[in-house]
Amino acid sequence: MKLKHSLFTRRQFLNGLLGGWLTALVGSFLYPIIRFVFPPYKEPDKVVLPFSDFKDMASNSVRIFSWGSKPGLLKRNDDGSFQVFVGVCTHLDCNVTYLPEQRKFFCACHDGWYDENGINIGGPPPSPLRRLIVVLEEENLVIKKEGVE
Amino acid sequence: MRIKNINIGIQAWFDERIGLQSITKFLRGKKVPQHKHSIWYYTGSSILLFFSISVLTGFMLVFYYKPTLEKANESIGRIMTEVPLGWIMRSIHSWSASFMIAFVFVHLISIWLTKAHRKPRELTWMSGVFLLVVSLALGFTGYLLPWDDLSVSATKVGTDIPRSIPVVGCWVTKLLRGGEDVTADTLTRFFGFHVSILPLFILILIGLHVYFIQKQGISIPLGLERKEERVKKLPFWPNFVYREMVVWLLLLGILFTLSIFFPPSLDKAADLMAPAPEGIKPEWYFLFLFQVLKVFPSKVLFINGDTLAIILMLFFGIFFFFLPLIDNRPAEKKGKIITFIAYAFIFFAIVMTVWSLM
Repeated sequence: MKLKHSLFTRRQFLNGLLGGWLTALVGSFLYPIIRFVFPPYKEPDKVVLPFSDFKDMASNSVRIFSWGSKPGLLKRNDDGSFQVFVGVCTHLDCNVTYLPEQRKFFCACHDGWYDENGINIGGPPPSPLRRLIVVLEEENLVIKKEGVE
Repeated sequence: MRIKNINIGIQAWFDERIGLQSITKFLRGKKVPQHKHSIWYYTGSSILLFFSISVLTGFMLVFYYKPTLEKANESIGRIMTEVPLGWIMRSIHSWSASFMIAFVFVHLISIWLTKAHRKPRELTWMSGVFLLVVSLALGFTGYLLPWDDLSVSATKVGTDIPRSIPVVGCWVTKLLRGGEDVTADTLTRFFGFHVSILPLFILILIGLHVYFIQKQGISIPLGLERKEERVKKLPFWPNFVYREMVVWLLLLGILFTLSIFFPPSLDKAADLMAPAPEGIKPEWYFLFLFQVLKVFPSKVLFINGDTLAIILMLFFGIFFFFLPLIDNRPAEKKGKIITFIAYAFIFFAIVMTVWSLM
């Protein structure tokens, strides 16, 4: 039945109301489930490492530290400075390793190669290794994301 | 009262309550066609055989396995070395999973080649594709559980693959991993998938699949169908079932022999910060995909190579799923292109697999 100036019938109105209500009900059940299955994750803003542990690192070598749940690679350059990378391949997320003799980073999963500055030079990786910033603050090496104070 | 009478009495009691007669009547009426291609009919029940063995050995393994970061690898070590006959339980579980997937592939290809997916069996095929996906997912989740370097690296790659799918991809990766990275949460999650969620799905799907097959009857391949009166038919019970049992015995023999002589290895527990070990390989049934990802160039016309590779695979998957709707000619027509695609796919998969092993 439809009233004179109404846009839809009473049945359509009630169906819409019920349908909307059901959708909202289902949504209110699904929402907590979806929230539940995705745990919160926050990448660390910075990681502080005591400089004394790394002072004696040889040049052209790499040490691993924990960058959240990913490996961070701290590399000592020939001039004694440090470079830091997130040590996961930009192809499909495997952990990479540094080969000092070849001065390259290597991912064993699908033969991915990066040069000593983390630039992708061979195999499937589509982009360079992600870089982090390292600064020496008093007695500590502070490793930060780019753009964090 | 004689035993026979008791037996009849029990049967009558049940029949009155649950209608046993309809089941026995159905079994008595069920016939299996006999022709030169009927060997493929045995692949389905062989899959069920290996599935059952996997379930039974899985029940055994779960008595000792501990799905935590600290204990996973160690508990499998214990199963392999301390638990009486534990090593063979694990070996059979692993081998029978491989056999199951091998037979799933053979089953599928045989249906594709004999065009058994055509009308009216479209839904049987589609439920079969879901079964393939769930079987592969069971293999993939099971592969992580030993938690050694190899399995963790393979899982990292495998769970990162969906990330290339636009929009939803990164959420799929997060859902699978239980976070941004492969961690202890991934292990518990995979354990849950492997022992409860996926088995539940596979049971429902097997039920549907078998129901569809009973509903439609067994397909008779092209060419033979037209002279249907001349195709011999064998009663399913007991004649065909006995033949199947002979096949099962043979397969069991092969399975146990391989399980005894080639048990799966176990490496030391994975270190999440360590670089990926050299020579990582997924299970054999993922090797061809692994090789595709390996050889795809990093950039193809400004698109990431892996994104393109994965989108292509996705398209192939969709084609595969909708095959009966794409190849919708009447069952008695030949399908040269569809047959060609099947052979091309087999050839491609074999070449890629061999290449990945070189």
